[in-house]
Amino acid sequence: MAPSLTRREALGGAAAALLLASCGGGDPPPATGPKPGSGAALLGSLLALERASFAAYGACLEVLRGEARQQVHAIRAQERGHASGLERLITDLGGDPPPGRSADEYARTFPRLETPADALRFVQDLEERQVRAYLEALTELPDLELRRAAAGICGDEANHLAAARVLQGLQAAEGPFVTGAL
Amino acid sequence: MAARSDTETLEDLLAREQRLLSAYEAALRRDAIDPALGETLRDHERAHVRALEQTLAGAGRRNPRASVPSAELTAALRDRDTFAQFAMRLEEETRGMYIDAAARMRDADLRRPLGSIMACGAAHVVALKDSLGIFLVN
Repeated sequence: MAPSLTRREALGGAAAALLLASCGGGDPPPATGPKPGSGAALLGSLLALERASFAAYGACLEVLRGEARQQVHAIRAQERGHASGLERLITDLGGDPPPGRSADEYARTFPRLETPADALRFVQDLEERQVRAYLEALTELPDLELRRAAAGICGDEANHLAAARVLQGLQAAEGPFVTGAL
Repeated sequence: MAARSDTETLEDLLAREQRLLSAYEAALRRDAIDPALGETLRDHERAHVRALEQTLAGAGRRNPRASVPSAELTAALRDRDTFAQFAMRLEEETRGMYIDAAARMRDADLRRPLGSIMACGAAHVVALKDSLGIFLVN
């Protein structure tokens, strides 16, 4: 029998594809202002993830109703705030934030979201990827204040991830170490 | 004031985790938390304590002594809603400590796992909010 792809795996793959597309080679490189190793390029990658997630949650809102819709709406508003904060940090480093993609370009990479369950699984997958990205950034960003900003946003993304899990009837945390361990 | 060393920061976090662990253990004994939720949160805190103890042992440090239960905890144990509010405050304060610690660690290899524990604490707050029936997103 041919191997089959579960819906969960399909949505997870779609999340990965969306995030890869958001960081793909089609984006213009960062402006020449910041010094190499300043962290501006990494912040640009995080900004791309935030923008892709913001666009994706717009699609999720179209199929969500009631409390889940309110919660995802609040998550989406926070992602916009994160994106604005990252843009300021890049500018402070002497860079120009990358311009991002159009709504249509993002939408082409989204999976088909037919049910609220599809949308919540997609939110969960995107948030897991964001938490991982910010944890990775913690090890790589060269400046204390940049790391503090990344850690603070990571805490928000962990809140979003847990909310997406609870809305699906799952435990808020899958285990004692979210995407990592000592 | 001199910056705290990584080891001192880890000791501060361990003391904080021990306080959370004691709080969930006490809440379970006094039926001040739903048993399934309390056991999950307690088990996570145990894992955090164990991980921090092992990291500190690797640095040749002894564990800080456990403190006596606070009057605030004793008061919070009177009912489930009061304890959930108390635990949320404690978790939020702890999250703030982890954000600062994960950013400050000189040993870059420790930043990610500390961030990972911080993310678990954020999930605990969501679980406690859910138990209170309040909006989940910060």
